Amino acid sequence: MKHSSLPSQPKLFSHLYIERGILEHPQTQMIRVKFSDSQVIVIEHYKEVFNRSAQSFAAQSSAKKLILARKEGKFLHEGSQYSDGFGIKQFFYASSVMGCLYDCDYCYLQGLYPSANTVLFVNLEDAFEQLTPYLGEDTLVATSYDTDTMAIESLTHQTKSWLDFAAQNEKLHLEIRTKSANIKALKNNIPNDRVTLAWTLSPQEIIDRYEHATPSLQKRLSAVREAIQLGWKVRLCIDPVIYTENFDSLYPQLIETIFATIDPESIEHLTLGSFRMSQSHLRSLKKLRRSDVAFFPYTVKDEMATYPETVESYILETLLAKATQYLPQERIRTWQRQS
Amino acid sequence: MIYLITALDAEAKPLWDHYRLKRDSSLPYTLYRNDEMTLLVGGIGKANTMMALSALLGWRIPETGDILINIGICGAPSEYTIGEALLIHQIFEGERRYYPDILYPHTLRESSLVCINSPQSIVRDYPVDMESSALFQAASRFFKLHQMAFIKIVSDHFTPESVTKEGAMDLVRSHVKTLDELIRNLQSVQVDSLLFTSEERQKIDALKGHFTKSQGDALEDALNYFRLKNPEQSLKIDHDIPHSKRERSQLLETLIIALTA
Ligand code: SF4
Repeated sequence: MKHSSLPSQPKLFSHLYIERGILEHPQTQMIRVKFSDSQVIVIEHYKEVFNRSAQSFAAQSSAKKLILARKEGKFLHEGSQYSDGFGIKQFFYASSVMGCLYDCDYCYLQGLYPSANTVLFVNLEDAFEQLTPYLGEDTLVATSYDTDTMAIESLTHQTKSWLDFAAQNEKLHLEIRTKSANIKALKNNIPNDRVTLAWTLSPQEIIDRYEHATPSLQKRLSAVREAIQLGWKVRLCIDPVIYTENFDSLYPQLIETIFATIDPESIEHLTLGSFRMSQSHLRSLKKLRRSDVAFFPYTVKDEMATYPETVESYILETLLAKATQYLPQERIRTWQRQS
Repeated sequence: MIYLITALDAEAKPLWDHYRLKRDSSLPYTLYRNDEMTLLVGGIGKANTMMALSALLGWRIPETGDILINIGICGAPSEYTIGEALLIHQIFEGERRYYPDILYPHTLRESSLVCINSPQSIVRDYPVDMESSALFQAASRFFKLHQMAFIKIVSDHFTPESVTKEGAMDLVRSHVKTLDELIRNLQSVQVDSLLFTSEERQKIDALKGHFTKSQGDALEDALNYFRLKNPEQSLKIDHDIPHSKRERSQLLETLIIALTA
């Protein structure tokens, strides 16, 4: 039985853990105003909270806390083999946030981090400084790689800062991947040809089952339509595809739903990819025992778990056949294990 | 099981009264119990509390879903009202800091707490006690951070000599309802990670015994997949086990396909 006057769920970010060194940082102060009801706990270093042993990722997921910190060292990391640099040789991802507001069952962050809390590094100005020496050549930065930065845009304004920075640097390309429906940041900036907004879309049944706390498919599609109308470059990603018993109807239907209201000509690419994960992250995911996704009998090769080749090929062939009804093959990108 | 830990008999008495606990002499420490609750009087100071708690948790190892609450009185700066119950979100011990996870809504005032070595007449910035850091360290080997809570009732403004035994009892007694509420809150965030009943577990382990370690792991994964995907459906685990290795491998393959279909 619960206290009658209290909500059963704690409010989002009911606790702010703030490193002493950034108490005066403008972004810290802005966030404190926004979360004026939250408990503020002054810490020395984010790791003393984020890296504690004996945390429960599953329990924390429905009561996430926010940790504000200063990133020491590298903000930028080289692009990974699991993702696509779109032909741009210099490809980095920026890790200005650790953890995600959303809670997808298939997310590798559950295997990567000991905590479901979010760490926000407030000194984004240092990321821009670190990136500047590379900007003599075309450089792609994925700004939302280890998280969904758009999901917490109203709190951080980081997407806006990246868009402003890209507007001033002609060789900088951005990929902003999201499931969010909040596109306020886009409305306040002039569309930039070097910025690709990549929306991850899934059938509503998959969203309900595996993508907790994320916007519905319809909301994401409205955000996509609005972004296109505003003049932004958009890529759509049906990635990761989760193979289920009704895959045959769910995913082809998703492609139909998408293109029923979105002109295929107005998107850059469609990316298709089935679920994949490094073996070590999958092991951690299994320990959490949160979702069936972790326990499918995947094939493991070179430390990477994927659907067995027949399933993987079937997924891609089915979706490619459907997608080519709307888009030429060269505008469809697929992820498949190189055997 | 709910584990309640106090330092003093005076803090424990209102609790064993309220929860109708019986004295238990299984350990050389003051212990009161019933089927759902164990109350330990760990003594004053870090060393005593660490030894007593380790003895208790080693004797009865906590299970998934158990919780631990440290309840007691504390000295605090004058901005804290005498009699006020504080829920602790940060414990200092010298340079070290410990953080219980508070994952539930509640109406208590939250506070940091300094764990010190002797009673304090010196005014500090935060409330102080003498056991919390040791309790945290010992308990976090057995409990997840959200399964522990530290509740401190302000007894004095750094005038420990003013605190009487009766005073301590009254303070704790005045907060038994607060404790009831805290117990409910802690229990509400327990994540049940047991996917199988103990009967199912026995059968699964028996079945796995017929296979190699890696085959057993693959079967366990498939069973987890099935249960997480179909929480309402019952498992069919009774199978005739063939003698030949090849047939056993075939059976395993069939089982995995059926469970993950
Ligand atoms: S939105 Fe992306 S980063 Fe966030 S939980 Fe889902 S998969 Fe992980």
